[in-house]
Amino acid sequence: MTLAGFPAMWQFARMEAQTFLTYRVNLGLQLLGILLQVYLLKVVWTAVYEGRTEVDGIALGTLIAYLTLANLQVWAIYPQTAEVLPPRIQSGAIALDLARPIGLLVQLIWRSVGATLGLVALVVVALPLAAVLGSLRPPASPEAASLYVISLLLGYGITLAIGILLGLVAFWTLETHGITILYHFVNQFFAGALVPLWFFPDWLRTVAELLPFQTQAFLPLSIYFGRLVGTDALRAIGVQVVWLVILWLAAGLVWRAAIHRVVIQGG
Amino acid sequence: MIAPSSIIRVSHLVKEFRTPKRAPGILGGLRTLFTREQNVVRAVDGVNFEIAEGELVGYLGRNGAGKSTTIKMLTGILVPTSGEVVVDGLTPWRDRQRNALNIGVVFGQRTQLWWDLPLVESFELIRRMYRMDLPTYRGELDRVVDLLEMGEYLRTPVRQLSLGQRMRGDLAAAILYRPRILYLDEPTVGVDVLAKQRIREFIAEANRADGTTVLLTTHDLRDVERLCRRIVVIERGRILFDGGVDELKTKYSPGRRIVVEVAGLEGPIELPGTEEIRREGSRVWLRFDPTRTPIAPLIGQLTSRYAVTDLTLEEADLEEVVRLIFAEQSGVKP
Amino acid sequence: MALARITLALFAAGVRGQLQYRMNFVIWAAVGIVFQLTGFFFLWALLARFRSIAGWSLEEIAFLYGLRLLGHALTVFFLGGTQLVDWLVREGAFDRYLVRPVPLLLMVVTWFRPSAVGDLLGGIVLFAAASRVVPLDLSLPAVAYLGLAVLGATLIEGGLRLAIAAMAFRFLQTHGILWFVDTIFNNFGNLPLRIFGSAVELLLTFVLPVAFVAYLPASVLLGRTSELTIQPAIAYAAPLVGVIVFGLAYLLWHHELPRYQSSGH
Repeated sequence: MTLAGFPAMWQFARMEAQTFLTYRVNLGLQLLGILLQVYLLKVVWTAVYEGRTEVDGIALGTLIAYLTLANLQVWAIYPQTAEVLPPRIQSGAIALDLARPIGLLVQLIWRSVGATLGLVALVVVALPLAAVLGSLRPPASPEAASLYVISLLLGYGITLAIGILLGLVAFWTLETHGITILYHFVNQFFAGALVPLWFFPDWLRTVAELLPFQTQAFLPLSIYFGRLVGTDALRAIGVQVVWLVILWLAAGLVWRAAIHRVVIQGG
Repeated sequence: MIAPSSIIRVSHLVKEFRTPKRAPGILGGLRTLFTREQNVVRAVDGVNFEIAEGELVGYLGRNGAGKSTTIKMLTGILVPTSGEVVVDGLTPWRDRQRNALNIGVVFGQRTQLWWDLPLVESFELIRRMYRMDLPTYRGELDRVVDLLEMGEYLRTPVRQLSLGQRMRGDLAAAILYRPRILYLDEPTVGVDVLAKQRIREFIAEANRADGTTVLLTTHDLRDVERLCRRIVVIERGRILFDGGVDELKTKYSPGRRIVVEVAGLEGPIELPGTEEIRREGSRVWLRFDPTRTPIAPLIGQLTSRYAVTDLTLEEADLEEVVRLIFAEQSGVKP
Repeated sequence: MALARITLALFAAGVRGQLQYRMNFVIWAAVGIVFQLTGFFFLWALLARFRSIAGWSLEEIAFLYGLRLLGHALTVFFLGGTQLVDWLVREGAFDRYLVRPVPLLLMVVTWFRPSAVGDLLGGIVLFAAASRVVPLDLSLPAVAYLGLAVLGATLIEGGLRLAIAAMAFRFLQTHGILWFVDTIFNNFGNLPLRIFGSAVELLLTFVLPVAFVAYLPASVLLGRTSELTIQPAIAYAAPLVGVIVFGLAYLLWHHELPRYQSSGH
């Protein structure tokens, strides 16, 4: 089983500039791929449950709803910032941004949010299909819903930072698409979009909890489905805040290092 | 009756390109899938000519006239819509690989060398593809490297070569296995004057010493003058002229041009031996025949009769030749 | 044969060319490995907690996965170049290949994709590891069948890619459908298809020959042919399907090539 959604992205991006229509079609195809993956996961997990309604306290219905949302989420909050930086760096336009880093940051976030909203819109349109291929469930409670939203937004903030870090790689190497794809695979796995962290072997779970990827799907959705309530939920949100701070600081540091490199090498 | 030594024979050659009519917008895109409406372009419209072995022929035409399309059918890249092409007894597009062994091709705009590898490795791959044995290959390589002075950059990756160097590399690659026919599609475009000179000499030598048949397409009339004895002119898919260079020159000599800026000009410029062909504000283009009207006295007359503020002499270009021929053929004043 | 040596030299040149860009090569090779291993990682993590999927143990799943990976890796290794065809057609970049005394298909074979290295490594490692822990029949007929099955898998996926590439001469844009077919094979090719129910299982056998790539041969080699919806005899025919698919694809390629219109220039 492999990871649908971004398989031919490097083809699309590399080969040509696209018309708006083809871009839209590509997104549609990607989303279709995601839903196909959801269907696959549903079938595989159902088979693995072997007729039991519950394993380790996780009901099959909940699990499938979780996987549906997790995959859609991971796709929708893809770090768009990773796409915006490299072209600017490669064309040299980045030189203009050196003087106004805040302006660049605002622009990055602005464009990313715009792109993300486009993806979210597509997800909303595809929800009926998602319900058929996977399954949809409402949040466990109103509190769960509101905490979920906060958690999701924090997760989004984290991906923005990760995206910037990925984009900054362009200062050191020309080939950024490969790295972005590598990130995508690792992220999807450790975000719990294929196997929720509840079912990870203990040592693997420890590893996953040390990484920021779980903030994108597993943590928010744990809250959504009522697996994390009260102080546990707040603790999870706290973890997300910590990651948010760390990653944005890291982004700032790497930015400085990159600028330094540019100045030394004369752009 | 065909001349027995004709190595290339083209008869009633036609090539149509069909592109589906594309309506704009999303709905238009959908409609395109279902419609059968197509734009049909006749790039080559009934071309006939024969080339004897050992000839060096210039193939001239403006952009879009059908030059490249003809060459592509001769080399087996495109399949004709109708008509016949026979090259050394083979049908190029059908016997593509056998035909390829006989020919060398240089595309001016695009290299055929291996972009990321040192130049010499491209030659080695060609050796293999054309089944050359090592001693022959080494001999030919030395000869070609010497003639084109490529020794310095044999080990340089092709992507790092200048245009002139790369063009010489492409030429060498095409001639390494001594093909019977050479197709050169704008081999001097964008290349500096010195390199152009070297390339021209190289082509002339190949034709003279080895009897290689050469079909040269070009925009540059100087290429033609230096190298070719026979010229074929194509325009809008049809052959306009097929004959000797001298014949072309005497019959259709476009002459030269003077471009003058005259202050406060009113009315036409009256100057015997000249003909006004264009005017933009106070700037006038005049055509004259230098063989009949010497330059110096002409300029003298011009400057004495008019308040000339600027003056340039220009070579006429292919556009003019073609326009002249076309005009004559259709009985229209150019 | 001289043509084989020529192809080898051109292929080696293709690899050398890609190696010029060291970083790029490494990253794409890594992408290849990670792509395949993460897919397997999912199954591994799943089966660490659950004992089997539809009766297939982790070892058997690994075998199935490895078998498919091997076939897929060989496909990408030899026919990965097909993914470039539609772009080259649109650019009119085939001209330079058509004037060479080499069949165009062989030239396509020489367009090496670095990700193939990753695919191949992943496939070999996984398959080797799995074959050791699975109760395999090591008799000559079984091993021969295994070899043929891998070859068949390569021919099926390769044939489909070739067919899609052939359509590029007519339709110019084929990466959408290539991606679609790729996704189906990547997602469904590694799993015991019976978990999807007979309808899907039959769909993925006779409409798109996904089952023949790994599931059916693995069923044969693991002695599980009784659980198949189709007749076991068909499962044995997996390699033959490869020959048929590739043969048809080759004919299509030959048929569509004359449609090449080059570029305006």
